[in-house]
Amino acid sequence: MTIAASVKQCLANMKGIEAQLSSLAINSNDEDTQGVFHDSMVTISSIKKDLQTRVLELERLEPQYKG
Amino acid sequence: MPSWIDLIIRSFVFLALLFFMTKILGKKQISELSFFEYVSGITIGSIAGEAITGLEKNMFQGMVAVIIFSLATLFADILALKSKSFRDFIEGRGTVLIKDGKVLEENLKKEKYTIDELSALLRQKDIYRVADVEFAVLEPRGTLSALLKKENRPLTPKDLQMKVPAEKEPQTVIMDGSILDEALRSSGKSRGWLETELEKLELTLDNVFIGQVDSYGELTVDIYDDKIQVPSPSLRPLLLASLKKTQADLEIFSLETEDEKSKAMYDKNAKLVQETIDKLTPYLTS
Repeated sequence: MTIAASVKQCLANMKGIEAQLSSLAINSNDEDTQGVFHDSMVTISSIKKDLQTRVLELERLEPQYKG
Repeated sequence: MPSWIDLIIRSFVFLALLFFMTKILGKKQISELSFFEYVSGITIGSIAGEAITGLEKNMFQGMVAVIIFSLATLFADILALKSKSFRDFIEGRGTVLIKDGKVLEENLKKEKYTIDELSALLRQKDIYRVADVEFAVLEPRGTLSALLKKENRPLTPKDLQMKVPAEKEPQTVIMDGSILDEALRSSGKSRGWLETELEKLELTLDNVFIGQVDSYGELTVDIYDDKIQVPSPSLRPLLLASLKKTQADLEIFSLETEDEKSKAMYDKNAKLVQETIDKLTPYLTS
């Protein structure tokens, strides 16, 4: 697997984690718990953006792996 | 009127009377916390017994006596709520038996408790060494409350400076195959949500004996057919695992790349994920 592919896979994982954290934040009853899940979701979301930029860079550098 | 019919009537009348009187007096009367309630409880019981079986006497006398005793207790309870000194007089105060780890012989003598009785009371609380106790009070009810010395107390998360997530009480939302709407509302969920969750578990409502929602909004069920295995909620442990995987991935990317800028970005994010993992671990493992 090329680097571009594994970074993409990691990005997909990140998206999944973000969604699960978001659903946990919504479903929890306790406000503190909700806050913790929400904060984590925001952190993960910022990391996700970094990875997205990197994926675009990689696609530019190695156009053959685009897709 | 034959006496057995009289007996049946009296039994039901007193049953109803006692039920309502105890309802009015509340849980305190049942627990018999104070001296007054202890005495009135016994007396009301024997008056009722006497009035039911003493067929030659008038039943209403017994009823009046029961009502008087109940009202007196109720009155004493209300007065005790208002005044501290009356409360101390009526309900009695606890006697300190052990203080600073030393037995107070004077107080023991005053309550007419022997060393044997004291150690029996301590043993009921699983305490076998008097030296382990910091402080012990003989409550008005006759039970002993003991505070162990700090080093003998059970270890708590606070002692270990562990962070534990706050937890709300689980709500029972399904009982005997029917939905309890009130509990569902107080856990902030809808019927639609419950149906989706049941669908995820591949169950129908009438298969479920008990269903509870915990503070993470996860549904755990007990079903009628004990042979079927219901998957336990594993969303949170799986989430922790995938967080750990992503963290490892980011570190690998950082090692593999030759571009300095990306390396720094991967490093920074790997650290961020690690921080998130540390923060979330208490919430995702319990």
